[in-house]
Amino acid sequence: MIEFRNLHKAFGDFQVLRGVDLVVQEGETLALLGPSGTGKSVLIKHAIGLLEPDQGDVIVDGTSIANASATELKAVRRKLGYVFQNAALFDSLTVAENLFLAQEDENSMKLITSCTAEAEALLRKVNLDASVLGKLPSELSGGMRKRVGVARAIASNPRYLLWDEPTTGLDPVNADNIDELILGLARELGVTSIVVTHDLDTAFDVADRIAILFEGKIIANQLPDDILENKDPFVQRFVRRMRVDS
Amino acid sequence: MIRPIRRSLENVGKATLMARDIMRVLPRPRLYIHATFQQAYIIGIQSLPLVLFMAFLGGAVTSQQTGAQFTGGLPLWVIGSVLAASVITELGPILTAIVMMARVGASIAAELASMKVTEQIDALQAMGRDPVAFLVVPRVLAGLIVFPPLVILADAMGLAAGWGIGVLAVDGLTTSDVIYGMRFYFRPWALFFSVIKGATFGIAITFIACFIGLEGKGGAEGVGKTTTTAVVTTTLAIMILDLLLAPLLKAF
Repeated sequence: MIEFRNLHKAFGDFQVLRGVDLVVQEGETLALLGPSGTGKSVLIKHAIGLLEPDQGDVIVDGTSIANASATELKAVRRKLGYVFQNAALFDSLTVAENLFLAQEDENSMKLITSCTAEAEALLRKVNLDASVLGKLPSELSGGMRKRVGVARAIASNPRYLLWDEPTTGLDPVNADNIDELILGLARELGVTSIVVTHDLDTAFDVADRIAILFEGKIIANQLPDDILENKDPFVQRFVRRMRVDS
Repeated sequence: MIRPIRRSLENVGKATLMARDIMRVLPRPRLYIHATFQQAYIIGIQSLPLVLFMAFLGGAVTSQQTGAQFTGGLPLWVIGSVLAASVITELGPILTAIVMMARVGASIAAELASMKVTEQIDALQAMGRDPVAFLVVPRVLAGLIVFPPLVILADAMGLAAGWGIGVLAVDGLTTSDVIYGMRFYFRPWALFFSVIKGATFGIAITFIACFIGLEGKGGAEGVGKTTTTAVVTTTLAIMILDLLLAPLLKAF
């Protein structure tokens, strides 16, 4: 379980989070929606200890991230996978080396990268073939880099996955493929996911619950069907396009 | 007025914590040994031609200018002594440091800053990898390993160039004068001093460049600013360290 408790975060004079309370249950997929620049990515970065809160805490499986020692934080990070918005692949490493970057020992990393069967299976999950294994990220298209980023996040079989705009920049076929992957990981392996997205199709396709972050606070946290009936003017404006489409 | 002072103090604190993190990683060489050799090649071997060329110029200028100032006033063998003293204790280490600040310090800062702004550092941390072990330790250790031999080679090139160009350009100066003058001055401690300076500069340049690179912010403009800051800071640091190390020469 991931629990955000009264989370506050400011960058200089700009207050991004103003007391976020949110609980993500085991096995659940939560879609986090909100306008650009409202702090969705900032929020999930707290869960993995990439940012320190000014106030409040994040509890992952009973471990306080704000007070975790380096060893505890490392243990928590081993349970979490993070799909970065712009993939964040290492420029100087090949796709194969990027996929197994989570391995602590560099020598074992070299050995594991020679296990191409495992790498190929990972790439198949994101609709890529083994021909990209030896390529550098600069030799891939934006969409391919994104999918390698997804493959890298799931390489260590995490219990929790934090998806930062997983379908942004992907064509509809590959976006659907990522949606299927999120659903499949939840269904088959019980992976808990937080999906930060602007893509309402993705949110309504994959989420068990949808939360909306606005002006530093969670203003809605409901089942997808219920959020369509939410009377809050901002929530209505936000999901209106979805209602029109459906 | 207070904000810059606070920021400077914060940076000193962060740099101290990074130094502590480096010390914590050192007992686990398997985490960094492979990358250290890679960095040593990039920092050392690839910089060697430029370092030697700079040392050649430094030695050649020193012997000619010393010759121009001393001819008629002092015996010409003094040129050999001045050349040895200048090159071994100052020019060799400082010229190597200048090349490395421009070539290696700037490159490290730009690379790490670029990795920072494209979330590659965040990705490392998110996967439970330690950026200090993965990125900083190999570069700082490589700096420590390659600087002393580079400085010795720069010393040798500077002396050889000063001797060769001096004999060609200074009227009446002979090879015997130069060798006599060098032997008259030379003390083994001077060479150790040169190597100590090299090792100190090697650690300082790579450490500062890594620290400033990891603090990089913003996009392309931020990377540019970070690189400039790294070059300016390492230049100041090297000159200050040069001053602080100077009394060591008299100590033995």
